Amino acid sequence: MGLIRYSAFRLAGMVATVLVGCVVVFLVMKAAPGDPALSILGESAHPEAIAAFRHKHNLDAPVLQQMANWFAGALRGDLGRSLTIAGGVPISELIAQKLPNTLFIGVFAVILAVIVSLVIGTIAALYRGRMADTVATSMAVLGISMPDFWLSYMLVFAFALGLGWFPSYGFVSPLDSLSGAFHSGLLPAVAVAAPMAAVYARTLRTALLGIAHQEYVTAARSFGFRPMFVFIHWVFRNALIPYVTIIGLQVRYILGGVVVIERIFGVPGVGSLMVDAGFARDYPVVMACTVVFLVIVLLVNFAVDVACSALDPRRTR
Amino acid sequence: MTDRSRNKFTRRAILKSATALGAMGLVPPWLAGRAYAAGETLRAGITGYNVINTFDPGRATLIPEFYVIWAIFNGLMKFDAKMNVVPDLAESFKVADNGTLEVRLRPGVKFQDGSALTADDVKFTIERISDEKFASPNRSKVQAIDRIDIVDPLTVRLATKEPFAPLLTFLANARTGTQILPRAALKAMGDDAFGKKPIGTGAWSVKDWRPGERVTLAAFDGYFGGKPKLAQVDVPLIAEESSGVTALLGGQIDLTSTAPFADVPDLMKKPELVVLKQAGLNCRFVQLNHRKPPFDDPVFRRAVSMAFDREAIVKAVLFGEGVPSAGLIPPSIEYAYGGNKRPLCTYDPAKAKAELARSKYPNGAEGVVLTWAQSWWKRSGEVFVGMVNQTLGTRLVLEVTDANTVFSRLKAGDFQASIWGWLGFIDADEYTYDIVHTKGWRNFAGYSNPKLDALLEQGRREINRDKRGAVYKAAENMMIEDMPILPLFCSNVHNLMTKKVHGFAQLPYSNYGDQFAGMTIG
Repeated sequence: MGLIRYSAFRLAGMVATVLVGCVVVFLVMKAAPGDPALSILGESAHPEAIAAFRHKHNLDAPVLQQMANWFAGALRGDLGRSLTIAGGVPISELIAQKLPNTLFIGVFAVILAVIVSLVIGTIAALYRGRMADTVATSMAVLGISMPDFWLSYMLVFAFALGLGWFPSYGFVSPLDSLSGAFHSGLLPAVAVAAPMAAVYARTLRTALLGIAHQEYVTAARSFGFRPMFVFIHWVFRNALIPYVTIIGLQVRYILGGVVVIERIFGVPGVGSLMVDAGFARDYPVVMACTVVFLVIVLLVNFAVDVACSALDPRRTR
Repeated sequence: MTDRSRNKFTRRAILKSATALGAMGLVPPWLAGRAYAAGETLRAGITGYNVINTFDPGRATLIPEFYVIWAIFNGLMKFDAKMNVVPDLAESFKVADNGTLEVRLRPGVKFQDGSALTADDVKFTIERISDEKFASPNRSKVQAIDRIDIVDPLTVRLATKEPFAPLLTFLANARTGTQILPRAALKAMGDDAFGKKPIGTGAWSVKDWRPGERVTLAAFDGYFGGKPKLAQVDVPLIAEESSGVTALLGGQIDLTSTAPFADVPDLMKKPELVVLKQAGLNCRFVQLNHRKPPFDDPVFRRAVSMAFDREAIVKAVLFGEGVPSAGLIPPSIEYAYGGNKRPLCTYDPAKAKAELARSKYPNGAEGVVLTWAQSWWKRSGEVFVGMVNQTLGTRLVLEVTDANTVFSRLKAGDFQASIWGWLGFIDADEYTYDIVHTKGWRNFAGYSNPKLDALLEQGRREINRDKRGAVYKAAENMMIEDMPILPLFCSNVHNLMTKKVHGFAQLPYSNYGDQFAGMTIG
């Protein structure tokens, strides 16, 4: 199966996943009680005003027809305008404003998590059973168990209000100032990275320990290479495959799972946008965020698959 | 082994240059790029909300929208520190015996595009929100106005079919939607564009707006009240109230629009902060549905009202930041406030049980009380349901959903009871007519008492304030006998600011943007 056919299959699969995901989210949103008209027309909404609003935004049409209209628009590249959280603003503009923030914090967090977990996971595996391993493993357990809002506030109290090294609230968009984004984004990135680093470290440790006992490792050592050389090129290199896979799986967390952290630090991200839109029944925004999330997750998974097959020494040249 | 020294693009070289570039990026722009750095700018955070859809007073419905609108526009009237109605864009006004209001406008007032304010703009503004086709959510404020006459370019006469006492308050720069708009500019821009880049007579114009994130206001030097002392106001929209507190403590903002109740006692002890608080203009109550059991029986309703302790809710849920209520009209509307010591709203288990025995549902009545998960709405519901069940042996259940769903169900009549309330209304009429008059559009209960209706209509017609107050006190006494809703409490409004902020006067309707023009920092 050539590369082209494989890519075509994967692409078709991705498109199908996005379609199914959008249909499901659309139907679930419509099934939930609540009315966007009330959100925007307020308490004194007269029945005629509500009816006029629903008609103007095609909310009184049959659900399947509304869905078809949305798909038709999306395929043209028109994601519509916000109904109730940014009245009338084109949704592509909203996403363009907020996606860079989410991606910046996400990538920043992944880099921090990778650096920390490489160190902790390797030390834990190399010094298995000894004090260093216990310390490293405990840190990992702590990282997974800390509630994200608690950790966020602890970071704010310690490093922002306490030491004053970082702002206690607010995020400078990377499009405005890259250095400002790094400065104001460090604490949120650390809060996002903590549980990820814990998971990565545990995965790496387990993979390293598992591979260390394999027969090919023993064979490599029997060639007389130094232990560190064997470790890097035989053990570590192969442990990267499950490690990179886990990194890819966590991408959905940095997109939508960090809403609480975004709220606490004031990072205007896509996750918060989707949550606010959900509460305000802003259907077009929720759908647009769904598409963005699905596409990014699928692309990252594809990239992970490519990386893993590149890392695998068994693949044919 | 390759000869690494010949290859210019060694890993080391790349790493070195990348680090150098990165370090360059971290120097001076770093300081400028700091999130919300301090300076000639007031950073006034709106806390607890983050949705603004429009800056058009004719379309605004949400609290944060009005917070900013009050900085961009003026009304014909405004409130002074004692909640008296005083002229704003008006220079003077006269109310005739038949209720007709004649307003003389201040000469020389300019809109932010340089055009002059005239009586025609007043006429345009009111006609626009009266228009059924425009479907303004604030239409009810001007529905009583029958005719608008332009006497001369600076004088306008508003006539009502019969005297309408709330008219003056409905024309104030509060949560009314009657802020004066420029006819020419609006027609040129169109409604949608005007909602994003509004033009008003106020001291501030919208320089930048990032939905869900912040609004940036720039000073209007030609403001009729005098050029503002500050050049710019940043208004970050901070969804989490507690994040607003940390932002203030960390020096990222100078002022907040609310404070979390639980933190107020501790914040008041901090010497570097100023905490403003007073009883707010709001009413919180349990909305009941009279079309379904068990709250279709007034005797049962009275029993439930005496079966729980409002004082306990204020202490436990609001941390003391509120006042128990025995009616709908809040204490800050002094002339009409009837006090909170009515026996039917006082906790008395013995009387409650006696009343229950006389009701249609003496044994273990079931009911679902709706609420939503935000801060004290849910906690109030928990304490209310818990105490009533304990006192009366009823089987009430709290159902936690979200605000949008609750509102939809109230409008549809698909509920038995719900924690509910209203914030920011400024006239006794809004707190009573709309909620308990047969035709009141906030009358989700389906309650109808023709004698009460007559009293409330009389309250609308009575221009003399003291006489009007007496009417509303009598109306509330009458209403409480039927107990159409269960009063809970009136909560405090709060503002937090650093000691460097001067010139902010807190008013009970939770004002904000109207204060920016007179404020300084330092």
